[in-house]
Amino acid sequence: MLFLLLSYAGINAQNTTPLIQSKLDGTLVDDITNQPVIGASITIKGTTHGVVTDAEGKFYFQTGQKLPYTLIVSYIGYKKLEIIVDKNPVTISLKEERQELDELVVVGYGTQKRKDITGSVASVPKANLSQVTSSADNLLRGAVAGVVVTQSSGRPGASSSVRIRGGNSITAGNEPLYVVDGILIYNDNNNGSAGVSFAGASINVLSTINPADIESIEVLKDASATAIYGSRGSNGVVIITTKKGTKGHDNISYQGYFGFQDVSKKLHLMNAAQWASLRNDVQASIGQTPSFTAAQIEDFRNSGGYDWQSAAFRSSAPVQNHQLSFSGGDERSRYAVSAGYFDQEGTVLGSDFKRISLRINYEKNYSTNFKFGVNANYSNSIANGVGSNGNGGRTPNPIVSAVLTAPVVPIRNTDGTYNVTNNIYATSVNGFVPNPINDLENTINETKISRILTSLFGEYKITKKLTAKVAVSGDVINTKQNYYAPANTTNGAGTKGLASIGDRLVSSVLNENTLNYNTTFGENHKFSVLGGYTLQYTQGETVNAGANTFVNDSNTYNAIQDGVAVKPYSDAFESVLKSWLARVNYSYRGKYNFTLSGRADGSSRFGSESLWGYFPSAGFSWNITDEEFANNIKGVTEAKLRLTAGTTGNQEIGNYLSLASMGSVNYSFGGTLYTGLAPTRLANPDLKWEKTTQYNAGLDLSLLDRKVNFVFDVYYKKTNDLLISVPVPLTSGYATVLQNIGGVENKGIEVGLTTENLKTEHFSWNSNIVFSANRNKVVSIGNGVDQFFPVVPNGSLLQQQPVTVKVGLPLGTFWGYKTNGIFQTQEEVNTQPKINSLANTKVGDRKYVDTNGDGVITALDKGNLGTSQPKFVASFSNTISYRDFDLNFSFQGSYGAKIFNALNQQLEISTLGTNANVTLEDRWTPTNPSNEIPRASSSPLGIVSERYVEDASFVRLKLVTLGYTLPKSVSKRLGATSVKFYVSAENLVTWTKYTGYDPEVSSYEQNNLYPGIDFGSYPNSRTFISGLNVTF
Amino acid sequence: MKKIILLFLLSAGLFVSCADLEVTPTSFVTEDKYFKTQDDAVASVAAVYASLSLDPGEQSLFGRNLYFLTDMGSDYAAAGVSATNPQVRAMSALTHDATNDRVQVAWRQIYAGINRANVSIDNISKVSGSETVKTRLINEAKFIRGLLYFQAVRLWGGVPIVLHEPTSIQLESLKSKRATVDEVYAQIIKDLTDAEGLPPTYSAADAGRATSGAAKAILTKVYLTRKDYPNAIAKAREVINGGYGYALFENFQDIFTKTKKNGKEHIFSVQFEPNQAGNGSSGSTFQSTSFTGFTATEPADIISDVALFYDIYAAGDTRRDVSYAKKLVNPVTGTLYTFPKPIFKKYLDLTNLATPGNTAINFPLIRYADILLSLAEAINEQGAPTAEAYELLNQVRRRAFGKPITTPDATVDLAGLDQVTFRAAIQEERKKEFVQEGQRWFDLVRWGTLVTEVKKVTAKNSVSEKNNLYPIPQSERNFDPVGLPQNPGYN
Repeated sequence: MLFLLLSYAGINAQNTTPLIQSKLDGTLVDDITNQPVIGASITIKGTTHGVVTDAEGKFYFQTGQKLPYTLIVSYIGYKKLEIIVDKNPVTISLKEERQELDELVVVGYGTQKRKDITGSVASVPKANLSQVTSSADNLLRGAVAGVVVTQSSGRPGASSSVRIRGGNSITAGNEPLYVVDGILIYNDNNNGSAGVSFAGASINVLSTINPADIESIEVLKDASATAIYGSRGSNGVVIITTKKGTKGHDNISYQGYFGFQDVSKKLHLMNAAQWASLRNDVQASIGQTPSFTAAQIEDFRNSGGYDWQSAAFRSSAPVQNHQLSFSGGDERSRYAVSAGYFDQEGTVLGSDFKRISLRINYEKNYSTNFKFGVNANYSNSIANGVGSNGNGGRTPNPIVSAVLTAPVVPIRNTDGTYNVTNNIYATSVNGFVPNPINDLENTINETKISRILTSLFGEYKITKKLTAKVAVSGDVINTKQNYYAPANTTNGAGTKGLASIGDRLVSSVLNENTLNYNTTFGENHKFSVLGGYTLQYTQGETVNAGANTFVNDSNTYNAIQDGVAVKPYSDAFESVLKSWLARVNYSYRGKYNFTLSGRADGSSRFGSESLWGYFPSAGFSWNITDEEFANNIKGVTEAKLRLTAGTTGNQEIGNYLSLASMGSVNYSFGGTLYTGLAPTRLANPDLKWEKTTQYNAGLDLSLLDRKVNFVFDVYYKKTNDLLISVPVPLTSGYATVLQNIGGVENKGIEVGLTTENLKTEHFSWNSNIVFSANRNKVVSIGNGVDQFFPVVPNGSLLQQQPVTVKVGLPLGTFWGYKTNGIFQTQEEVNTQPKINSLANTKVGDRKYVDTNGDGVITALDKGNLGTSQPKFVASFSNTISYRDFDLNFSFQGSYGAKIFNALNQQLEISTLGTNANVTLEDRWTPTNPSNEIPRASSSPLGIVSERYVEDASFVRLKLVTLGYTLPKSVSKRLGATSVKFYVSAENLVTWTKYTGYDPEVSSYEQNNLYPGIDFGSYPNSRTFISGLNVTF
Repeated sequence: MKKIILLFLLSAGLFVSCADLEVTPTSFVTEDKYFKTQDDAVASVAAVYASLSLDPGEQSLFGRNLYFLTDMGSDYAAAGVSATNPQVRAMSALTHDATNDRVQVAWRQIYAGINRANVSIDNISKVSGSETVKTRLINEAKFIRGLLYFQAVRLWGGVPIVLHEPTSIQLESLKSKRATVDEVYAQIIKDLTDAEGLPPTYSAADAGRATSGAAKAILTKVYLTRKDYPNAIAKAREVINGGYGYALFENFQDIFTKTKKNGKEHIFSVQFEPNQAGNGSSGSTFQSTSFTGFTATEPADIISDVALFYDIYAAGDTRRDVSYAKKLVNPVTGTLYTFPKPIFKKYLDLTNLATPGNTAINFPLIRYADILLSLAEAINEQGAPTAEAYELLNQVRRRAFGKPITTPDATVDLAGLDQVTFRAAIQEERKKEFVQEGQRWFDLVRWGTLVTEVKKVTAKNSVSEKNNLYPIPQSERNFDPVGLPQNPGYN
C-alpha cells in the first residue's frame, strides 16, 4: 500500500516539474529515538508539491524551486514543522506531539478538546485496552483513578461490579451507565440469567462486547460530565467507542493468542489422617466412641486419602482468542469489519466460556453536508458454569462441597466411576450421596447469550454552524439457559433428575435527535450549544419451565414433557424513558471555559406524582498557563483548574415499584391447590429517582515539557432520596415499604500521574500511576431507624447476619463479635461471659468480648468489624521499550478492605462429617492449650467474629507482557507491515494476608448490601499466554 | 437534498410521538384491577388461609415457626445440634430476648395474615356475585383473623388491634398501639361469633375450609383460656352435640396420615399439600424438615429429655410410637435403623422420606380429642370431676390404648380422683396426646405451671415467670416505644 502511495507521489512530482532547479535527498527521523518517521507528508511551502516519506524515512524532491526553500512536515502524533532547507542532503528531526490538552476527548453526545473540558473525564490508557480479558469492564481495572472493578469470581465470563467514586445507592443499581457507540446500556446482570434455579451466578452481559474491538474508553466521573445523562448519570458513565476505519489505510490484521490457566491458590485442608483424628476428637466430645483406630489413621497417613479440592480443578486449562479485522477508507467512506472468537476453559471442572463476535462499522459521506453510518455488533456466547446447590446451607455450590467433603471418602469407585453411593458422612437421598466432582462434571448448566447491538445514524450540516444528528439504535439480548442435574447428583437425587430451561428476551430501542450549534463572536468568544430529545423503550420477557422425576438421564433438559412438571414461570416488563437534554459551552479566549448542561427525564418507573426529574450542572475551567503571569513559571507547561457542581439521578430502581401489587400464594382445599392472591406491596405514587449532588475540584498539570502529567481531583457527593425498603410496623401487615428516604455520602480524592521516565534513541520508559481514596458513609435510612441487617440469601449466613447497614458507617460494614482467646479452665467457664444461646460452654471453647459488660455475650456485644470498601486503591503500570522489544507490567493494589471469609468460617467448624482447615491441627486439647483454635466439638454454629473478617489488602503483579516486533525490513519480506509476538502472564504474584482463594471476590456479585462475602467463590486463576499480532 | 432533510426529520418525528410514560404491568395484578368478581374474592380468602402455611423464604407460621414459641419454648422440645440459628437455640434455652428473630417472624406472620383477612373483609362486599358466598367468605376471613388474634393475645398479651388495610405508606398511619387483653378477646369473640354462621360442612372439593363447628371449637378454647368455664362448657357441648359428626379416630396414627386428612376427628386443620410452595416443597413442613435421614446426626428439633417425655408412656399406649420413632426402617436399604435418641415422627411421611419437606400431612390445629379434654378440664375446674368428665377423659385414653372408645374399660379408665388429681390427670394426658401440636406452651401457661414444669429440664433452667409471655419484638417497639410497652422482664 505504502509503495503505491510513494510511487504515485513520485509520478506526480515528475509531472509537475517543468524545470529542474534543485534536487533534495532527505531523511526524516524522530528527534529523540532517531528512528525513521514513515509516511509523513512533506510539502514545499507555497506550492502544491508534496511527497511522503518511505519505509526508511527517506524522501526526495526534484523541483523548480531553488534552495533554500521552506518545507512543511506533518505527521500524526508529531508537531507540525516548518523548516528552511538550504543544503542537500538533509536530515530533519521531528518532535513528538505531546499536546495532551489539545487532544479530542469523547464526552456525552459529542467530543471536546481536552483543553476546553470543565468536567472530570479520564481516558483508559491504550496499554490497558490490549489486556487479555473476556469482558470490556475488566479493561477499566486499575486504569482510571476513582474506578474500582471487582470481579465476582474467577469463573470465565463472570460478572463484575464497577464503582465509580463509590456506591451511591443502597438498594438500587450502582453500576455506571455504559454508552457503546452512542447506545445507552445499563449493565444489568439480570439480563444474563433467565431465572433458572440452581444456575448460579449469572454471566456478565458486557462480555458480549469483544474487548478487541474497542478503540477507546472514557470515564465520566463528575456531575458536569454526566448530567447530560440525567437520571442515569449518578453512578458515572463509561463511554466505549469501537474501532473505526480511517481514510487511506486499508489493512487486514490478525490478532491471536493461546494460553493456559491454573488456579492461583489452593486452600490448606486436612488430609485423611489429620481429619480422622479430628473426627475421633469430635466424637469423644459428644460421648461417642471414636471410630478410627490408630492403625487406620496410620494407613491414611501413608495413603494420604482423597484430595477433593484438587479434583475439582482442571490444570492447564486452555484459553485462546482469534481476531481478524479489515479496516480502511477512501475520500468518502470509512469501514472497519471484524470477527472474533474467544474460547476459555475454566479452571474448575465443567466450566467454560466461548464467544463469537462480529462487528461492522461503516460511515459514508453522502454529500458534503450529509453523512450516515452504521455500527453493528453481533455476539453469541456460550458459558457452562458452576451452579449452586439446592440444599444451600453450608454448601452453596459444588466447589464448597468439594472443599468440605471428608478426605477419607473415595472420589471414584474402583471401576473409575464416580462414587455416589458410599459416603457415611453425608445424608443419602434416594440412595445417592453427594459427590461434588460428579456434580461439576455431569450437571449441565449452560447459558447462551446472543446480543445484537446496532446503531444507525445520519448527520446533516444544515448550515456551517448548525448540525443535526438523528440516531436510532437497537439492543437485543436473548439469554437461554439449560440446566439438568442427573439423578445421581446433589440437586437431582431428591427428585430423580431435575431439568430446567429458561429464556429471557430483552430488547431496547433508542432514538436520539440532537442539534449542535457552534459559533464564535469575534476572536474571543466561542460558543457551542447542544440540544436534543431522546426516547428509549425497553421491554423484556422471561419464561422458564422445568420437570423432574425422569425415567433416566438420557434426554437431559431436552424432553421435559417426559418428567413431572414443576410450576412454570413467566413475566414481562416494559419501560419508557423520554428525555430532553441540553448543553452550552462558552469559552473566552480558550482561557475561561464554562459548561452548563442538563437533562429532563421522564421515566415510566417513577410514580404518577413524580414522572419527570430535572438534572442540571455547571462547570468552569481556567487554563492558568494561558495567563501572561503564568507564562514563565519554570517547568510548568500547562496548568488548568476545574470546578464543577451538579445534580444527577439514578433510575435503576426496577420497574413498576410505585404500584401496589398482589402476589400469588397457594393453599389447598380438598387436597387440591388453589391460587390465592395476597397484597404484597403498598402503592407509592411519589416514588422517584435517587438524586446525587456532586461537587468536584480538579487540577491538571503538565510539567517539564509534558514529561510529567498530573491530574488531581477532589470530590464530594451526597445522594438523597435513596430508595429503601423502609421497615414499617409489622402490625400494618407489611414488613417494608419502598420509599425515597435514605442518604449516602461519598467523598474522596483521585490522583493520576503519567510520566516519561526515560527516552533515548533505543530505550524508553513510561509510567502511569493511578491512586484513589473514597470514603463512603450512610447518612440516613429513614423512619428513625439507624441500623438494619440485610438478608443474605443463604441459610447459614442469613442467620448470622454478617453485614449491616448503619447510619454513620460505610455500606458493606461487617458486624460481629471480637474473640478473646479460649476458655482454659472450668473456673474461667464459670466466671467469664458466655454466649447466651449456647447452652453448654466447655473448657476449650472460644471466648468473646463482652463489650457492654453485662456478663453475657448477646447480639448486643457485636460491633463494627470493618468494611469491604478499601481505604484506597492504586495501580502502577509501566511500558518499557528497547529497540524492537517492549515490556509492559502493572501492579494493582488495594488497602484497608475487609472480606468476610465465610468459607474459612465453615472450614474451622469441626463436625462429624466435613473436612476442615489444617489450622484445626492446633486445636485446643488439655495437652495443647491453644489460645486461638477451640477444641473439637460437633457444633455447626457459625459465629461472625473478627477472625473471619479478614484483611483483604493486597498488591498484585497483575500483568506482565513482553513483546517483540519484527524489524520493518523483516516483516516487509514476509509481506506484512507489522508483526509482533508476545508472551504475557496474568496474576503472576499476589501479596496478601487473605487466607481465602483471592482477596478480589464477592460471592453476591453486584449486590450493594452484602458485598465482600467470600462463600467459596470460583477461584481466580494465573494465566500464561503467547500471542501474535500481524497487520498486512 | 431536500428529500434527505425531509426523510431525516420524518424519522425523528416518528419516534417522538410513539410512547407513553404510563405503562401497565402485565405480569402481576395491581390492586385496582382486583376485587371485581367473586373469583377475586375467593382467591383473596385462599390467600388468607395461605398465611397459615406458606411464607416464601421463611418457615411458615404453622409450618414450623410457631412451633419454636409454642413447643421449643416449652419443656419437652429442644434445639438439636443441627439447629444452626442461635436465635432458635436461645428459644430452646429460654434465653431469648426482644431481638429474637423467631419471635419477630411469628409476629410478622400473624399480622400479615390479619392484614390479608382485613383486605378480604374490607373489599369482598363490593364484588359482584352471590351474597351467600360473599358472606361465607367474609366469615371465613373473620375466622382466621380471630384465630390469629387468639394466638397473638396468648403469646404477647394485649396486642395492637388492626381491623382495616392500610391506605397510606406514611408511618403515622401504619402504627398501632397495644390494646388491653380484654379488648383483644372481645374482638376475637366477635369475629368467631360471626364465624359461627359458617356452613357446618363443605363439599369434598372445599374440605378444609373453616366451619361453624371450627368456630365453636376455637371459642371453646378461648373461653377455657379466659377461665370462663360456663361458656367453655356450653361451646364444647355445641361442638359435641351440634350434629357435626365429629368423633375420635379409632387409630391414633390416622390423625397424622395423609390419606385421612380432614377426617372425623379434624375440626380444623392447616392444610399442607406437596408443591404448595412450587418446585418440590410444600408451603411448609412442620418438623419434618428436621429429619436428617438415617444418620447419627442430631436433628434440629429434638426431644429435650427422654426420661421425662418418652419413657412416660405406659405399655400399650399407641401415642408414643406415633409421636416418636426410636427405630425406623430405611426404605432404601430395607434395614431397621436405630436412632441414638427418639426422633419426632408425627409429621414424617414414611412414604416420602427423600423429600420430607414436601409433605401432605396436615397440621391438626384443633381436633376432637382437644374438645373432649377441654370440656373435661372446664367441668373439673367448676368444682370436681363429674361422670361426664371422666367419660370424656377416658374416651381419649381408650383410643390411645387401642380400646373401643365408648366401652368402659377398667384396664385404662381412670376413676376415683378428686379435683386436684383429676386436673393432674388431664395435664398428663394432654402432655402425651399433643406432642408437636402447638399446645404445650399454651397449656402450661393456662395452668400456671410453666416455670415449675420447664425447670425440670436441666438445659432450660433459665425459665422464669416472664416466660408466661413472649417479648414484643424490639424492632416493632422502635417505632413506638410508648404505644408498645414491653412485657415485664424483657426490658
